Amino acid sequence: MSLENILTDWSRYRKGLEQGGFHDYEHMWGMVIDLDKCTGCGACVVACYAENNLAVVGKDRFADGHAMHWLRIERYWDEPDLGEGRVAEYQHHGASFLPMHCQQCNAATCEPVCPVAATYHTPDGLNAQVYNRCIGSRYCSNNCPYRLRYFNFFSYYESSWPAPLHMQLNPDLTVRDKGVMEKCTFCVQRIRAAKDKAQMEDRKLTDGEFQPACVQTCPTSAMTFGDILDLHNPGKGVENTRAAALWRKHEVELGKTRQTKQDPDLRGYRIFEGLNTDPKVLFLERVREV
Amino acid sequence: MKKARMLALFANFDEAFAAIADIRQYKVPGVSVDDVTVISPIEHPEIEEVLGVRPAHVPKFTLAGALCGMTFGFLFLATAQANFTVQPQGGKPVIPLPSNIVITYEMLILFSVLFTLAGLMIGARLLRRRKSLYSEKVSLDQVGIEMELEEKYIEPVKKLFRQHQVLEIREEGIQ
Amino acid sequence: MSDQIKDINEDIRWAKINEDVLRSMENPRMGYWISVVVCLGLLSLAVGAEIYQYKTGIGVANLNWPQMWGLYIATFIFWIGMSHSGTLLSAILHITHADWRKPIYRFAEAMTTFTLMTAGLFPIIHLGRLWNMYWVLPYYSDRGIWPNFRSPLVWDAFAISTYLTSSALFLYIGSIPDLAICRDNARGWRKKLYTLLSLGWRGDDRQWRHFRKAYLVMACFLIPLAVSVHSIVSSDFAMSIMPGWHVTTFPPYFVAGALYSGCAGIITLFVLLRYYFRFEDYMTLAILDKTCKLTFAIAMVWTYLNLIEFSSVWYGHDMVAKELLISKFTGPYSPYFWAMLFFGSVVPFAMAFEKIRRSIRAMFIVSILLNIGMWLERWMIVAPTLSMSYEPFAFDVSWPSWVQWFIVLGSFGWFGLLFLIFVKIIPSVSMYEVKEMVFHRRHLAHKAIAEVMHQRTGDAKPVGGAGLEGAKP
Repeated sequence: MSLENILTDWSRYRKGLEQGGFHDYEHMWGMVIDLDKCTGCGACVVACYAENNLAVVGKDRFADGHAMHWLRIERYWDEPDLGEGRVAEYQHHGASFLPMHCQQCNAATCEPVCPVAATYHTPDGLNAQVYNRCIGSRYCSNNCPYRLRYFNFFSYYESSWPAPLHMQLNPDLTVRDKGVMEKCTFCVQRIRAAKDKAQMEDRKLTDGEFQPACVQTCPTSAMTFGDILDLHNPGKGVENTRAAALWRKHEVELGKTRQTKQDPDLRGYRIFEGLNTDPKVLFLERVREV
Repeated sequence: MKKARMLALFANFDEAFAAIADIRQYKVPGVSVDDVTVISPIEHPEIEEVLGVRPAHVPKFTLAGALCGMTFGFLFLATAQANFTVQPQGGKPVIPLPSNIVITYEMLILFSVLFTLAGLMIGARLLRRRKSLYSEKVSLDQVGIEMELEEKYIEPVKKLFRQHQVLEIREEGIQ
Repeated sequence: MSDQIKDINEDIRWAKINEDVLRSMENPRMGYWISVVVCLGLLSLAVGAEIYQYKTGIGVANLNWPQMWGLYIATFIFWIGMSHSGTLLSAILHITHADWRKPIYRFAEAMTTFTLMTAGLFPIIHLGRLWNMYWVLPYYSDRGIWPNFRSPLVWDAFAISTYLTSSALFLYIGSIPDLAICRDNARGWRKKLYTLLSLGWRGDDRQWRHFRKAYLVMACFLIPLAVSVHSIVSSDFAMSIMPGWHVTTFPPYFVAGALYSGCAGIITLFVLLRYYFRFEDYMTLAILDKTCKLTFAIAMVWTYLNLIEFSSVWYGHDMVAKELLISKFTGPYSPYFWAMLFFGSVVPFAMAFEKIRRSIRAMFIVSILLNIGMWLERWMIVAPTLSMSYEPFAFDVSWPSWVQWFIVLGSFGWFGLLFLIFVKIIPSVSMYEVKEMVFHRRHLAHKAIAEVMHQRTGDAKPVGGAGLEGAKP
């Protein structure tokens, strides 16, 4: 609270995203989801529930819209003309799957509206949610165009894991009580553990050392996770499997709000790019044989 | 010299006006319009024309409040934000001007209003013990003229008031 | 009574004004106690529902994903809107010297304060963890944690507390001379209370002079404040990126809606007070007529802004916003949306007719219909966008549960209770200003007397008084 502070660092405090921001990013965790590989099996969802102590709310509450699926598989039957014999239930007949979890936007719309700064952007490029600080105004969820934030409408822990199921809870993170907003963290507990390990071994955290539960579980390897910080420095020689390489390969860049490329092999796009939220999850379009 | 305070009650403004106008023209030697305090049941700007220009400094308080509120509001926000650098959110800078302007605006108004209140309290000499010479009829429908005078002037003023159909005159001695 | 043309009868005795108004503050009649019981009943419904919600979680209100906000926020905007009436009547009409406001501004101002006290509860009620609500306030803590000043919700906290403070002070300052009248007429504990409240007011010229300045200054500050408060409330929506919320015209639209519902609220209370306290001499049909004309004008502004909003969405050609707009007209919320348009834009045309404007019964019903329309408007701002925004997977319609309805009903009980306490503590008609009004009307009516009076004041208007100063013996 000192005047000196703002006078000396004024220009730093005035830097927005376009000017590089206040923080220098240590990492920028991002993801690539290849929809062509996604079969909609839902293994990632199960993994997410197991890893992140997601409350299992039951059929009735699910129907009431009280589900807590941080990662959800959205199903759309948006191309019904592909349905041979009008059987539209199969993917090759026009159904499509979209795994959706927090897009960890660099210009997240959920962040500035939180009245108590319970959600903020970390130097890891994550959109963090501080459960302890959350007072449950739910503004963030309302302002998330992806609707990827979930609210603890009840104390779900009371009925979610009847004994002995509570034994399977992940001890690395909390169980949330009522009145708190929560969302995908890119398995921040795994990031934390890997960072700690790297620090103890006195080395830099290398990309690929750990994976979020969903990425680890995906049977078709449709999801790729990694540090996309070196996205704009292609000289570094990154392996092609890694997220940053895929971003580069599909010519998707942070800070862009539309895709202008023509080549059908470049399938990358981000969801609602036009809203300028700068999400960090890259989707690769499904290739259909027409 | 011994002083006395007197309160004269009039039935309507016309008579009270006339009485004050006479005092203003020094009909009673030694007594000037500056000694007159009008006590009235309604707000009545015309009275002040008769009484001459008497200042009210409330707007100065307001201006001070506005400046204080503006400065305090902005600096409070900016310094708090600069101490809480976890705050860069949604790609917005640590000290974002648009939102700070909104709150600064509110603080400007809040401080102005509070200072205005303080100005009223101080200027109007509220929050003090009321003088014992007070008639409840003044809050009803009569107009009072209160004067603090040396004792020798009391009688001539009374005489003047009687000419203007005064209803009642109360007086008390003060040191 | 219907042939009443004058705003107020200028022959009314000042003593009678005191008498009539002070009588309204004494010995509550049966109807008063019945109203108190009804309000307490409504309030206890809300308290019960709130306790249940507090213990179980906000889910019992049937809020869900994606309908995270519901009636609470809608009713919050509704009450904030109601609060703008007092400012309009007392501040805007004060600085424009519209003196017909004088008999009716006091209760309008009280309405401002109490609706704000009601509205302020809703953001708290709707919080998931309301026991931590004070975290929104900027206070120094050793951890160096501050609220997020970027959030329109924090602006709300600042704006509403500023508005509540200012409007309560405005109400209080405006009633100091009346409190002094109460002091002069009260006995027992009431005398002590009013002695304290009237701050030693005795009505001398110094006090009036400062009072007039302070009141004018505060009126000047209240107008931009009121506008900023409701535009900040609109920012809760306009600053988001959601279709149907991210609308440039929202601030003026909200302000117009606020003045509109506030005026309708004034008419309702006008009728109730006039009927209950027999204030026929002060709350005259001529004043009702003027208030209705004002309301009609604002209703048309609101209608216009509504149409502008539709057409700007239409021409903006944003797919999502357009789809949402069409769904408002044809989707699950369409009955309420059409009802809002009917009550908000068609019903006010009743006020185009003098017969209706001057009919107490008709205007009571019309004003309540208008406010139903305005309440629906707020709901139609909040709900459809949540049910249908960008993400098609999150399209969902949900209806509020009894918990929300009870709390909304209870808020009316709470407001009613505050207002009922108010009418017995503070004079609901401004006595001194009605006297002023009568005084000035009397002089206008008898110009000749006024001229004579001014001749008798003697010399020309003094300039600085310096010349007289020098002549002092």
